[in-house]
Amino acid sequence: MKQHENKENNTWNAAQASLEPFTGNFALDLERVRKEIGHNSDVHFREFQIGGTGICAAIIFVDGLSDKELIDKHIMKSLMMSFSENHHQEPSIVQGAVSKEYIKNQVLTIGEVTEARHAKELASKILTGSTALLMDGVQNALILGRTKGKSRNMEEPSSEPLVRGPRLGFTESLRDNTALLRQQGGNSNLSILKFQVGERSKKELVIAYMKDLADPALVEEVRERIKKINIDDVPESGYVEQLIEDNYLSPFPQVQNTERPDRVYSALMEGRVAILLDGTPFALIVPVSLSMMLHSPEDYYDRWIPSFLIRLLRYFAAIISLFGPSLYISFVSFHQGLIPTKLALSIMGTREGVPFPAIIEALIMEVSIEILREGGLRLPRPIGPAMGIVGGLVIGEAAVQAGIISPIMVIVVALTAISSFAVPQYSAGISFRMLRFVAMFFAAVYGLYGVVLFFLFLCSHLVRLKSFGVPFITPVVPYRVSDWKDLMIRMPLVKMRRFRKAIQKKDSMRKG
Amino acid sequence: MKHVTVRNLLISLLVLTLLSLTGCWSSKEIEDLGLVVGTSLDLDTQEESREESAGQAGGPPRRDRITITNQFVTAETTGKGTKNASSQPKAYNNVSETGDAILPTLRNMILRIEKRAFDEHSKVIIIGGDLARTLDLQKILDFFIREQEMRPSCLLLIAQNRASQTLDSKKPMEVPAFKLVEMTHGHGRTTKILPPATLTKIEGKLHSGTSFLLQNVVSSANGDIKFEGAAVIEGKTRKLRGFLNEKELEGLTWITGEGKGGLVKSVDKKTGEPIIYEVLSMKSKIKPRVDGNNISFKIEIESEGRIAEHWVVSEKTIETDFLKRAEKAAEEEVERLVEHVLDKIQHEYKTDVAGFGNRLRIAYPHVWKAVKKDWDQTFSEVPIRYEVNLTIKDYGTADE
Repeated sequence: MKQHENKENNTWNAAQASLEPFTGNFALDLERVRKEIGHNSDVHFREFQIGGTGICAAIIFVDGLSDKELIDKHIMKSLMMSFSENHHQEPSIVQGAVSKEYIKNQVLTIGEVTEARHAKELASKILTGSTALLMDGVQNALILGRTKGKSRNMEEPSSEPLVRGPRLGFTESLRDNTALLRQQGGNSNLSILKFQVGERSKKELVIAYMKDLADPALVEEVRERIKKINIDDVPESGYVEQLIEDNYLSPFPQVQNTERPDRVYSALMEGRVAILLDGTPFALIVPVSLSMMLHSPEDYYDRWIPSFLIRLLRYFAAIISLFGPSLYISFVSFHQGLIPTKLALSIMGTREGVPFPAIIEALIMEVSIEILREGGLRLPRPIGPAMGIVGGLVIGEAAVQAGIISPIMVIVVALTAISSFAVPQYSAGISFRMLRFVAMFFAAVYGLYGVVLFFLFLCSHLVRLKSFGVPFITPVVPYRVSDWKDLMIRMPLVKMRRFRKAIQKKDSMRKG
Repeated sequence: MKHVTVRNLLISLLVLTLLSLTGCWSSKEIEDLGLVVGTSLDLDTQEESREESAGQAGGPPRRDRITITNQFVTAETTGKGTKNASSQPKAYNNVSETGDAILPTLRNMILRIEKRAFDEHSKVIIIGGDLARTLDLQKILDFFIREQEMRPSCLLLIAQNRASQTLDSKKPMEVPAFKLVEMTHGHGRTTKILPPATLTKIEGKLHSGTSFLLQNVVSSANGDIKFEGAAVIEGKTRKLRGFLNEKELEGLTWITGEGKGGLVKSVDKKTGEPIIYEVLSMKSKIKPRVDGNNISFKIEIESEGRIAEHWVVSEKTIETDFLKRAEKAAEEEVERLVEHVLDKIQHEYKTDVAGFGNRLRIAYPHVWKAVKKDWDQTFSEVPIRYEVNLTIKDYGTADE
């Protein structure tokens, strides 16, 4: 018991020591920092003397994370070489002391200089990639530059490819991403607020909105929800999404994620709020509606007639992906009278000898398609196509040849599978795929009546669902005719002068 | 809060599991069905009394027995089955059963077939002439009109001889029921086929007691089937009264104006060569006139058409004289047809199958009330005038 107390005391003391302000005594301060982070093999301590004066100094940095060029050219060079040339005549230095202000203002050729008052603060800065400078006789440590983290080049967003539209996608670097947003248009109303999330490891998160368009209540709501996030670590924006969504039991995603800066920006221009997290290319947009999941940015980039038709097609595809197999099951097992006679005859012919009822047949095929999809996702790239062919052949051709599955079922399943990928929002496509199985069970038990019943359940859920206070199926419910111009159809841009009422409360007309 | 959600979730799960208790309620797999595509009804010809009717000595009086033939199209005959069968099977399977009411007889078929008979794709009902003469159509059709599985769009035909023969074909891959239905589509191109008579249409006519026509189909000994004229159903008795031949049916179509296309073959007076007038549109108005107690009708027939063929080589269709002559000849031919059929339905059959009564009912409801009880008799005595006006507006691409 006593021992335990003692130990606790010790750790408390250590914690206390690291929080104590620096003394200005070089050896003591350096020792404190060493104690805090010195055990890390990637943390380098480089001790030296400031050029020609004999004053001890040290820079501390994380190898690989900090900016090597900055250290070599701007810190070491100006403190050692240039210093002896230019500054050794300075009266204070001749006295063997150096002032913080002098170094900051006259020696270092670096833009970003801050200070750290104790070892703990210093350690966290160093570990995130800054370079620290400790000097004898200077009380606070200087923190120079910022992290030059590893990042990749900006590429075309691979999860949302478009035929027409900007090719630039977000990357893992938050700074790059916010820059991309600013770059979308010189709009002084674009506000970017910074937050920190994560209890044990801190991550930077920003919310972006248009000061003149976004509803202040909405911004406040987003802010509140983000402040409430209480979790050790936030590796990806998916965590944020799950922690701020309205209803975690709903099969539908209530937050939209996208890799496309143009998509985020146009959402901001509608008065929505975007959430960007450091370390992921996926930005979140709130609030969303079901219709947004079925819209693609291309709908607006193309002329209105093709966009109109393609959007209708997409809604149709969504309906197929949700109800395709269940309608087939109910027609084949319950309402054979509703099939045109000739088609009924050919279905009968192909189903002859199939040992399973339609529901089992459909389940076998649907599950194998899902396995194929999931497996295909994980396959190493070189063998992907080969395995795809094997899977496709086995499921399509061989199952029919063996007489386990009827060819029409293969058509239905293939059509449904393709349709679910016609939904531009991948996460919404997944919802449709999940619900498809539920619809199939309803169809197997009650036929068309069951499908209608399922649809009613679905509708009653959708009507209740909200995304950040905005009804999920707006503008269908609540009913707003003016917003219907951009729902299932897409009217010419000149006819869509009004903002969406559901989101936009401040300004009713688009300027221009 | 959290407990409530979990409890709600559990409750809804429990309710959902109840769903599965129903099993696959009333589901029947499509391949287990025997699709009935056509039904024929005949008067039983074998007069030998089977045991069941012999045993009814003290029971209800003996009744006419009906032979029902169902034409099945089964999965075996639609697709795969034909591939590995050694002898070429037929595309259909006719099953007959005899009884004195429709449904019990149909149910007796269960004893002969392995599939569940399924009527929703039933396309056609053919009633044999003998049966239609002896039994009230309302009684015969009662089951078919009442039954939910029967589609109201099912067609009704009369067979001059045995109805079951019309459901037979020499060609193995042909389904006679489908063939019959598709043949009625010819209505658009000839005046010799009646517009399709569906169960719903017939139901109304049976209830209102009007006389009407049904398409007549004749089967020949070599297995061919042919539409030939029409059967006259008398409104009062709802039994078959007689038949109209093709010429008479043509005349009747001109009276009703229900034709959509067809030909009039007339003879050029000068040369004696045929001129063929093709109907492009046809309109007829039946105008009733009431003068005291005297009812009379006037039929105004108007049609536009073209010369489809003419053998009068010496003449050019471009000349007005010839056109006038051709029009005149065609009009006379139509008048002849109309006169002929009017004589037949007024004086031989004494049934109003052309809808004169209906026109009278609309124009003079009070008069109609007085005469409707014995309308067919009254109809046979009313004078009917007619006026035919044909216009040739096109003579094809032949002349320069």
